[in-house]
Amino acid sequence: MTLTTERKTMTQPSFGQQIKSTVFNEFSWIWGGTIALFILCSFVAPGVVRPAAISSMLPFAAILAITAVGMTIVIQQRGLDMSLPGMMTIAGLLFAQIGFTTGSTLLAVPLTLAIALGIGIVNGLLVAKLNITPIVTTLATNAILMGAVRAVSGGSPMTAPAELAEFSHAKLFGVPMTLILAMLFIIVISIVTKRTIPGRRFVAVGANPAAATAAGIPILRYQVATYAIASLCFAVAGMLFTGFIGSASQTAGVDYLLPAIAAVVVGGTPFNGGRGSVIASGVAALFMTQLGQMVLALGAGTSVQLLVQALAIIIAVAVRHIPEYFGRP
Amino acid sequence: MQSEKLLLEMQGVSKHFPGVRALHEITFDVRAGEVHGLVGENGAGKSTLMGVASGALQATEGTVRIDGTEVSADPDLARELGLAIVRQEPALMPDLSVAENLYLGLPHARRPSLSGLNDWARKLLLHWSDDVSIDPRDHITTLNPEQRFIVEIVKALECEPKVLVLDEPTEHLATEDVKRLFDRVRKVTARGASVVYISHRIREVQAIADRLTVLRDGEGQGTYPARELNEDQIVSLIVGGDLDRTFPDKATPGHHETVLATQEFSGPGFSNVSLQVRAGEILGLAGIDANGQREFMRALAGIHRGHGHLTLSGKDIQIRSSQGAKALGISYLPGDRHREGIFPELSIRENFSIRSAHEDTRLGLVSSRVEQGRTREAIRQFAVKTPNGETPIQSLSGGNQQKVVLSSVLAMKPKVLLVDEPTQGVDVGARAEIYRVIREAARAGVAVILVSSDQQEVAGLSDHVAIFSRGRVVEMLTGDRVTEDNITASVLKSTEQRDKHHKSLGAFWKWAAGNSAPLIMVGLAIALLGAVAGAWNPYYLSPRSLSNMMTLAATLAIVAYGQQFLMLVSGIDLSVGPTMGLVQVVASFFLLSGAAGGDQALGWMLVLVVAAVVGFVNWLLVEGLRLHPMVATLATFMAVQAVSLFLRPVPGGMLDGQLMNALNTKVGIVPVTFIAAVVLALVMEYVLFRRSLGVSMRGLGSRQEAARTAGIRPVMVRLIAYVGCSIFAGLAAITMFAQVGIGDPRAGISYTLGSIAAVVIGGASLFGGRGSFIGALLGAIFITQVNSVTVFLRLSQEWQQYLLGFLILASVALYSKSREKVVQA
Repeated sequence: MTLTTERKTMTQPSFGQQIKSTVFNEFSWIWGGTIALFILCSFVAPGVVRPAAISSMLPFAAILAITAVGMTIVIQQRGLDMSLPGMMTIAGLLFAQIGFTTGSTLLAVPLTLAIALGIGIVNGLLVAKLNITPIVTTLATNAILMGAVRAVSGGSPMTAPAELAEFSHAKLFGVPMTLILAMLFIIVISIVTKRTIPGRRFVAVGANPAAATAAGIPILRYQVATYAIASLCFAVAGMLFTGFIGSASQTAGVDYLLPAIAAVVVGGTPFNGGRGSVIASGVAALFMTQLGQMVLALGAGTSVQLLVQALAIIIAVAVRHIPEYFGRP
Repeated sequence: MQSEKLLLEMQGVSKHFPGVRALHEITFDVRAGEVHGLVGENGAGKSTLMGVASGALQATEGTVRIDGTEVSADPDLARELGLAIVRQEPALMPDLSVAENLYLGLPHARRPSLSGLNDWARKLLLHWSDDVSIDPRDHITTLNPEQRFIVEIVKALECEPKVLVLDEPTEHLATEDVKRLFDRVRKVTARGASVVYISHRIREVQAIADRLTVLRDGEGQGTYPARELNEDQIVSLIVGGDLDRTFPDKATPGHHETVLATQEFSGPGFSNVSLQVRAGEILGLAGIDANGQREFMRALAGIHRGHGHLTLSGKDIQIRSSQGAKALGISYLPGDRHREGIFPELSIRENFSIRSAHEDTRLGLVSSRVEQGRTREAIRQFAVKTPNGETPIQSLSGGNQQKVVLSSVLAMKPKVLLVDEPTQGVDVGARAEIYRVIREAARAGVAVILVSSDQQEVAGLSDHVAIFSRGRVVEMLTGDRVTEDNITASVLKSTEQRDKHHKSLGAFWKWAAGNSAPLIMVGLAIALLGAVAGAWNPYYLSPRSLSNMMTLAATLAIVAYGQQFLMLVSGIDLSVGPTMGLVQVVASFFLLSGAAGGDQALGWMLVLVVAAVVGFVNWLLVEGLRLHPMVATLATFMAVQAVSLFLRPVPGGMLDGQLMNALNTKVGIVPVTFIAAVVLALVMEYVLFRRSLGVSMRGLGSRQEAARTAGIRPVMVRLIAYVGCSIFAGLAAITMFAQVGIGDPRAGISYTLGSIAAVVIGGASLFGGRGSFIGALLGAIFITQVNSVTVFLRLSQEWQQYLLGFLILASVALYSKSREKVVQA
């Protein structure tokens, strides 16, 4: 710092500096971590890096990644969406229900997504317009959604429509469709946030809503859209999960809430708004899923798995704070 | 009463901020029994000097002695030695009552007992004035700035300071309160103490001060007996004989098209303002702060709503939002840079391009090549000192940040540029560049409106100046009449003291924002729901059903107390659920029937130790590793659950039957656990409002900086909060023994969300500072009631969740709305 600031003006940043800032930021740790994890796996648990094992793990990682993408954008807006379990579950059920009633999967997809969109908009309006803390708002909507789950399902699981099950298990050139869909989500949202005007404004609103208002950005629109898109992500994840396990259960989403938040945290998106990376969250979803597989393959039970995940969160966050401890500004 | 004894001595004090020299070798002393005026313009260094004296700031060079003892950056010691400071922005905790703020503001030895607090506070306020309109029970949020200032002064006077520093004290006061203040000041000096009186109102200082010291741009201009100087001499000392700053040439005379015109434009804080600003010219708005000039500008920027007739280039327009203003070509450089100007964590590039991103798009996408090119150009053109465009803007000095924001605002290519305090917190070198840039923009045809509290700046930059007083334009200066002396004179002449103002407020909203409203509302809801359910189905009110509900409510209530305890200091604990499970599991190894007494004792001890350790780890992660409380307790949520599952992969270990019987004991139909929960709520509520710890916790959660000023140690208080929260979870787990019976690691999980819901319904704020244990108890009862009532009402099961969800939303929306309403600007 001391040397470089002395310069009155600056020229083009050196190639080295550019590489440094794009490759070594807080979102790049997760790439190294994931590669290291796979290398570690090939030594300690070679079974989990065999192609068959990986291709059975990927759909789960993909579904988690889609939920993590939705959670990431909400966290970028200084929020947290606790309605993930309800949204994911109701989407699976609605899809199955509408699919069977109308006999058309083609109709079920847009209808389910439209409902998810509506719920997300309600979440967003409650947060942004009524000024209710995001965590409380979404806890409440989650309760309502879980009620709806009970009403729709009548208390028993529903078989997933065959087309959905097929889609969830389908592969394109040997790559699971779920993974392709997850990558599509990640790439589209990443490009939108980094390379489009609405995306830039979205980041600005998350970083400092008051400054965004002063800069002429209609912040309400962005805050509401965030929750709407997050709901869409959760709904898609819910439908895929339903297809994958073959039935729409009443608890499908419950086990995804904490892992989704964990993936965002491990990916490096901070809780203070603005900055964030859906790519890092997606990679972190893969990391967390593979970590679970490895621990399982080593013969450890749920307890060790949870412990390892907790450690992963703490290490992931602490590692990014290390430079601060050494007094870097 | 004056003597030669010096109560405050400052020798050769310099203070440098990054990139700015705020004070340069100031020597300043205050004699016992005198009023020492400290005058200078905004930014001259008056507040900084007193910051150094009070220990809030560390001097770069020089020494400070208070009553003969050397002090360096130690606010506690400074206060102990008898220095009290009344700041422009009162250091009060907004969610605490007036009385509690007075209490925390005093040194420990002077604090009264908390039981008669309101009477004590009323007496103090009556010392100030017989017809004081402040109720000691009112929250600070409901006071207007003037009332807050009175509280701050009363607090400082009650400390009986040796040196009392008053920083712009009359800014917020009405005429009769200014007289009262002067009376008090004379009383303070009569007892041999001294007063430092900071003001930019020269007449006031002349009226009250014995000696006065003038500061200009961080340098002392000498100390004089107040009576030896007349007003003009003081003004010339403040302003400086010659202009120290260079300003660019003004607009060339000739015809300039009117760009923006307002007619009878009114809004919050200003009324009937009719002004025109022409292309190529700068219109300055001057006046004492809060006389409407800034509000007028913000209405033009679309941040506040104004009404009246507006034309832009001859066409009628309306400005409904900041977005609308932007679309019309009006751009705004905010005065509060940190709050509204910068996006601190984002890079210079992102901060620069956000206001004009359309310039960077190619085929609908932002081209990073174009964007980087534009950013580099802006950095070069505005001489921003930075290694490169990817540096986070918050790591730049104030002046460089301001240049980036200004460059970003100008990149919008506006027709009208609104500039608010363009050089606040900016070093002298950068100022000249900013002036040059603003003038160049005007020369290129932009119509510029400037608001600044620095009259030299207004005079140096503006072609025309409008003087604001009480929301109206009282004078216009044009051409040669635009000089600093004229502006200062007009401003001082026009602005007398302010009127008292009050925001009228519906009684309902005021009540709803109070501490007791959530309790009464939730209590009523419980009674109503109970009555309806009882009328529908008499079994609902049967002893058996009531006992069951009370048992369940007791557990939820106790864990909710923990959550509430932590939420007071803006924390949140997701790990309470698993902690309850872990306690249950630990108990299932020791508290067995037939276990030896030693084992039993060890078991009970472990139960509490385990809970406390979880709380300690949470605190360590939050304070030590600086994790967000959500993230930290999410990690411990998983880790604690892991430990429970490790100890008991499947539920097992039947607890001692006698113990369970004991826990199941009832007094009449009321379970002992419920009685314990009620007693705990009352005790904790007492601690919260009547003990120093409780008041301190609420103060800390309300505003950390103000709490620190009052001597509260945030790290220690948070340790108590985290450990306390987990211990409550442990106690709740004990009440759960009788319901679960065996060591079930998953037994507590649902209580995490339940506890948050209970405290939120009970009126707690997630941001800290507000809450109630009785509220948490009522919230817990209500949730338990909702969970069971559906069965009795023969509603289908989903109603349980619908009711819970809608009731949370309704209650929180009401609290949030009412608290928003009562906040005074």
